[in-house]
Parts: sequence; C-alpha cells; structure tokens
Amino acid sequence: MSTLAVAKKDFLDVRRAKIVWFVSSLYLLLAVAMFYFGQNNAEEPEFRNALQSLTGTGALVLTLVALVTAYLAIAGERESGSIKYMLSIPNSRREVVLGKFLTRSGVVVASILLGFGIGTILGYLWYPSVDLELLLGTLALTILFTLTYVSIAIGISAATASRSRAMGGTIAFFFVTTVLVLFGLVNTALGWIFNDVLGRDLSGEVLTFIEALVSPMIAFSRAFNIFLADLPEEAFQDQPWYLEGEMMIVILLAWLVVPLALGIWKFERADLG
Amino acid sequence: MPAIKTTALTKRYGGDVLAVDGLDLTVENGEVFGFLGPNGAGKSTTINMLLDFVRPSDGTATVLGLDAQADTDEIRHRIGVLPEGASVYDRLTAREHLEWVIDTKGTDDDPDALLERVGLTSEDGDRAAGGYSKGMTQRLGFGMALVGDPDLLILDEPSSGLDPTGMQEMREIIQQEAERGTTVFFSSHILGEVEAVCDRIGIMNEGNLVATGTLDDLQGDLDLGAPISLEVATVPDSLALERVEGVRSVSVEGTTITATCADPSVKVDVVERVAATTTVKDIISEDTSLEQLFNTYTNGERAGDEEKAETPSPEVSA
Repeated sequence: MSTLAVAKKDFLDVRRAKIVWFVSSLYLLLAVAMFYFGQNNAEEPEFRNALQSLTGTGALVLTLVALVTAYLAIAGERESGSIKYMLSIPNSRREVVLGKFLTRSGVVVASILLGFGIGTILGYLWYPSVDLELLLGTLALTILFTLTYVSIAIGISAATASRSRAMGGTIAFFFVTTVLVLFGLVNTALGWIFNDVLGRDLSGEVLTFIEALVSPMIAFSRAFNIFLADLPEEAFQDQPWYLEGEMMIVILLAWLVVPLALGIWKFERADLG
Repeated sequence: MPAIKTTALTKRYGGDVLAVDGLDLTVENGEVFGFLGPNGAGKSTTINMLLDFVRPSDGTATVLGLDAQADTDEIRHRIGVLPEGASVYDRLTAREHLEWVIDTKGTDDDPDALLERVGLTSEDGDRAAGGYSKGMTQRLGFGMALVGDPDLLILDEPSSGLDPTGMQEMREIIQQEAERGTTVFFSSHILGEVEAVCDRIGIMNEGNLVATGTLDDLQGDLDLGAPISLEVATVPDSLALERVEGVRSVSVEGTTITATCADPSVKVDVVERVAATTTVKDIISEDTSLEQLFNTYTNGERAGDEEKAETPSPEVSA
C-alpha cells in the first residue's frame, strides 16, 4: 500500500527530470537509426539483423538509461534531507526502496517499449518480414537485463549516504562490469587471477561462466543462445550446461533480486542523521 | 501516558563522539515543550532517535506510549513532523506534496485549507517547490506536518528561514494546535519563541539535559536578578550606582546604563539615583530573560556575571 504511495509520488517527481528524458530520447533515436541503416542500401534487408543491432548497441545505452534514472533515487534524498519527510509519514524504509524501484523500473520499461514499438513499426514499413517470436523474446530479455541495472543502481543508492558516493559506486560498477567487459579485459583479468596467480587451471568455459556471473552484460548476450539454438551455423551447440541460455537467465534473475535485497538490508540499518 | 519518554537514551558516533548522553526526558500529553540548546547540543540527534532516523546506542524511547523503533508505522500515522533542514521535492508543487502526505496517511484533509492555514496562496500551491524561498519551504513543511490532525507535533527548528511575520504566524498555529489538545515538542536555538509559547522547557548542552521545568521554575532556581536599563542624556562621571543596596552589577554602553538588581523593588532606587544626576530619557525594565537563563546553563556562567548584560544577541551559537 505504502509502496504504491511512494511510487505514485516518485513517478510525479522523476517524470519531470530532464536528464531522464534526455537519455531515454537517446535510446529512441538509436532505435530509429538502427532500423533505418539496417535497410538503407540493402537489397535484402533482414529484420533479424536490425533487431540484433538494437539489442546489442541498445543494451549499452539502456544500461545508462537505467543507471541515470535510478542512482540518485535514495542517496539524493538522503543528501537533500527530503528522505526525512518521506519517513516522517507512514512509510517503512523497505517500502521506500521498493516503491522507488517500481517507478524507476516503470520509466526504463516505458523507454524500452517505445524503442521496440518504433522498431516494430519500422520493421513492417521497411522490411520484407517481421519475426514476431524473436521480437517478443528479445523484448522480454532486454527488459529483464535493463531491470538488473535498475536494481543495481537502486541498491547502490540505498547503501550510500550521498550523491557523490552513489555516483562513484555506479560509475565504478558500470566501468568494471560493462566497459571493461566489452573490451574483453575482464575475461583476461579473470584468467590471470585464477590461472596465473591462484594456479587453478580453469578452462575457458569456466572463466566465461565466472565472467557471466560478475557481468549482467555477458549473461545477457549469452542468454540469446535460447533464440539462436535452432540455427545450425551458430557454434553454440556443444557448450556445457552452465553456459546455456537458461542458466544465464538464472544469473540475470539473481542480479535483479540480490542488489535490491542488499540495498534494503543496508538502508534499514543506516543512521539518517 | 506521556507523549514522549526517553530512558537513558544515548547516541555515540564512532568511538568517542557522544552526541546524546543518557537522556531521561518526559513530555506530558497536551503540553507545549520547548527543547532548547546551542547548535550541536544533541537536540536533533534526540529528535532523530524519536523518529527512528537514527538508532540509539543505548537506552529506550517511546512516542505516544509506543516503542520508537518497533512501532514506527503507528507512530507515523499519529504524529506530524517538521524535520530540520530538509529540502522538499523541487519538481513537485506544494499541492502535490500535501496530496501525497494525505494519501500516505490515509486522511481526508483539504489541501487548500492546509495551504491557507500555513500562509501559502493557491497560486503558490500550484508552483513547483524548487522555486520557493526558504520561508515558503518551511511553511510547506509545516503544512505537511499538520496533515491528519496529529496527536503530537515534533518540530525541529520550526522558525528557521522565517521572517518575523512568519515566526509570529508559526507561533499562532502552535498555540492553536495546543488549544486543540495537540502535544507540541519543538527544538530551537532562538530563545524568544520558546518564551512566548512553551508550557515547559528543557535545555540541552553537550548531550545532556541540564535543566527542565517551567520558565518560572528555572528563573526561581537560578536567582538571576532583574535587569533595568536607563537611557540618559549624558552619562555622569560619578554615578556610584554599585553602592545602591541590592544592585549586583552595572554596565554602560553609549548612553544606556544597565543595572542588574537582586530584587525588582531595587529598580526604583536605581531610577532615583540616576535621575538625581542626569536627565533620564527612557526606562526599560525587563524580567529575567530566557537568554540569561540559557547562557547560565550552557556556558556555566552564574548570576552576577557582568558580561551577560552586555551581549544581548537574540541567537546563541555554540
């Protein structure tokens, strides 16, 4: 009940934040661009390819949409002191965190739906065929992936006392689990730590699993195996069970729940001086 | 059942900072209690523990007979709070703030009536609060505290940011609430406002409650003496006011002579002595001021200290 009252008020607040509109527009612009360039000068434009560009490149923008939308949700209120108004009326600290998670999730899901909506319309307009099954599967996976970033940003926000620390924590997370991962540096680092330093002699597959554990980005990209499994040309046939798409979804679900739970745990024990 | 009761309430930060030290405080139902002390005395920490913003290191606190930590939900339904130095939501209008609080508390207050009560116009109410002055923000905060006709109002530095008119209006609302039977607990480092509205006061200093009681009690306990000030045309060279029996101290500032008397009846003798040597333009006779009281408790100065009469600043900072 209170969670919804928190969410209702927070939605009024966050929908007027310009930065949220800015990053969300960036995503929508990207959706248009991907579907335009996917068919521009192409004789046999493939809807599937354009969709993959939107989810691949789009994922990076969506992490930013999610982090920017959520990282100040609680830390910002602690710094400005407005959290005291929030907690002077019948709201528990858990309800505050959950309510904020709901609204910030709502905002990013709205952006994703708009982006995919634009993609679908352009798909019907410019492409010979639209693979609806793939579209819906990709949409569901993209939403799950983006919500893990909302959960992470809310978790960091609930665990930190000021804007600067929330920003520092969020940037650090983004840099390590997203930027470094995209350059393949996390994989290299994991190999060095486990095999060279600790001498564990782990296989490349196990290292990839560990990489997926520490980076929702990797888990997300590998989860697409679910949709690609029926394609003979894909080289994902003989991989171990722990690299299957289903396992990656379990990892993403853990990323959705754990940061939020830790954030609530930390926030419930904090002194709000 | 008291409205607020703390027993050996203690807050320690880190190893060595003792913000509140074994506080035993009781605020009775229906009274207006002024919680005084210089900045950093532990007032806000105490209030934060009552509201479960900060957890005590030791001791217990009850609010309206409910445990301050275990029963926060019921407490928050029944109290109204004006937190100190808290900013409101810049992107929401005053009306949206009030509607949110009404919604969360599940009451049926009229936002317009609340706006009017705290002195905000309907146009103010439809503007985003980010553009408000400090005083308007404080009025809005006060309006939110009044939602749901609370049994207890906890106001942390309610007059900060208000101009004299605003402070006067705030006092009037506090008095109206008190007449309706609401218990009011408010902290302040500004002495004048406490004097005007409080049934009882408590003075905090360095984490300890150094005095509680009615103003009369505290004045009686301390025997501070009664001050009288005379504005004269010229200050005579040989005044020898100190030699008047019952005069404790004398100070001269410009053309104003101030004498502190052991007993108010001595004031007449002072006036006569001065009038015999020069022209008296004005006479200001005061009760022992709360400020004097306050200084005595928070600076360890005792009655008869001459410096007190010479530092009539309305605010005391630590």
